[in-house]
Amino acid sequence: MSALKVIVSAIEQVADGICHFTFAAADGGELPGFSGGSHVVVSMPAHNRTYRNAYSLLSSPADRRNYQIAVRLQEQSRGGSRFMHEQVKVGSRLDISWPVNLFPISRVGHKHILVAGGIGITPFMSQVHELLRTGADFELHYAFRSPQYAGFIDQLQQLLGKNLICHDQSQRQVLDLQALLSQQPLGTHVYVCGPAGMVDALLSTAYELGWPDAHVHHEEFLAPPIGEPFTLRLKQSGKSVEVGAEVSMLEAMEAAGVDAPYLCRGGACGRCELEVLATDGVIEHHDHYLSDAEKGSGKKIMPCVSRAKCSFIELNL
Amino acid sequence: MQHGYWIRSKPVYHSLSWQHRAQAHVLVANGEAGRSIVRLLHQRLPDQPITVLYHPTQEADYSKSLVSLAGENLHVFKRESELWHRFEQILQQSVMGTRLYAAGNEYFLWQATTLAASHGVLSGDVMREQASSLARSVYCVHCKTISHRVTTNIAICTGCQRHLLVRDHFSRRLGAYMGLMIDAEEPGNVPEAEEVYP
Repeated sequence: MSALKVIVSAIEQVADGICHFTFAAADGGELPGFSGGSHVVVSMPAHNRTYRNAYSLLSSPADRRNYQIAVRLQEQSRGGSRFMHEQVKVGSRLDISWPVNLFPISRVGHKHILVAGGIGITPFMSQVHELLRTGADFELHYAFRSPQYAGFIDQLQQLLGKNLICHDQSQRQVLDLQALLSQQPLGTHVYVCGPAGMVDALLSTAYELGWPDAHVHHEEFLAPPIGEPFTLRLKQSGKSVEVGAEVSMLEAMEAAGVDAPYLCRGGACGRCELEVLATDGVIEHHDHYLSDAEKGSGKKIMPCVSRAKCSFIELNL
Repeated sequence: MQHGYWIRSKPVYHSLSWQHRAQAHVLVANGEAGRSIVRLLHQRLPDQPITVLYHPTQEADYSKSLVSLAGENLHVFKRESELWHRFEQILQQSVMGTRLYAAGNEYFLWQATTLAASHGVLSGDVMREQASSLARSVYCVHCKTISHRVTTNIAICTGCQRHLLVRDHFSRRLGAYMGLMIDAEEPGNVPEAEEVYP
């Protein structure tokens, strides 16, 4: 996959534990255009391995001079967010993927409700620019623990005015999803990004109220969870790859020189899907892509975030 | 006659059934399809408010059965245009979670869907049952007239009088199948029409 070469041109702390990075093209030219809601996958060459994490683009899609991302230092970082916070300096050179959009604004929607929890604000940063440009009817609900965790709040207030509705949990301002979703006119779309509990609560509230699935959008990039080590057998190449407890199947394959497909690396897009031929254990599905029926069949796996509790698993690759 | 192959644009219809997770239910039907609404009203009803809009036709009028089942939730319209006017008003006032059901001939179904789409309702969100004749509306690619109630594989365009082959290519926006001149290359060589959409 061809990478974009960028140089870090600015780093700024925007909230507790959240760093804001600005990238410029290494050749000094314009970066590729993108649409609101897009993300890039940043490659982070740590000393023992390369981390690759997906981050939403924050800037206006109209501005192609630079890209901006925000990285929250994960308390239980596998290494990626720590690398960004500690190793990356102004002037650092990084490889990033071309922008991909798995979270676009519906073009046929008549009204758009954006719901962000904490760092889940990031995909909406570019979307609000697009919504403002098209003059769409929209509102952004931003829920956060307390103001020091509310990244970009000043910028958003200035940009959106009354279209920004804040829910400050330290002030006991709770987002009432039932009230929010039960009074929206036909043709409304809702978009949510935030902690898993919040996303699940919104999805189930919308479902119970009879919102059609096609009007409910969510984006959640997962980090590959830690598990137990096992052996990965690749049928077509005949290779055998050891998957350590703290690396994903995809990362283990890449480290072994296997050219496995991927896009978001966070269990959302479905690009890395592989066929499972055999295993002596159980698959631990963590992705948001496969249906429950597909997960139950045991024939498919998303190696970016899922793994297996087994001694071996054989894939058709 | 074209048969035995799959074409993406040709719609597939199902029987209506209640979507119990909802905030309200709005049903529109015409003529023969009143029977589908009667059948639906015989099933366990959802807890949310139900509104039925019905336009009886010369072929079929299920108003009496419907009124005994739906009572004041039923609105019967003498003219189809009045039904669409009321449907439009309801769409304007409805909230997300309002389930839309349409039963009727194919043209009616896609009029309902198109009207709903103008309020941001996606095509897949409207449940549709083709509950009467399989007759097709045919859009003439030559003069752009839509001829209704076509039951044969070859039909005369009501606009330009050409003989049209009724194809399976369907326009959801127009609610009609594509019709194109069958004897363009050999004028006058028109095969015999067969009734394939009774």
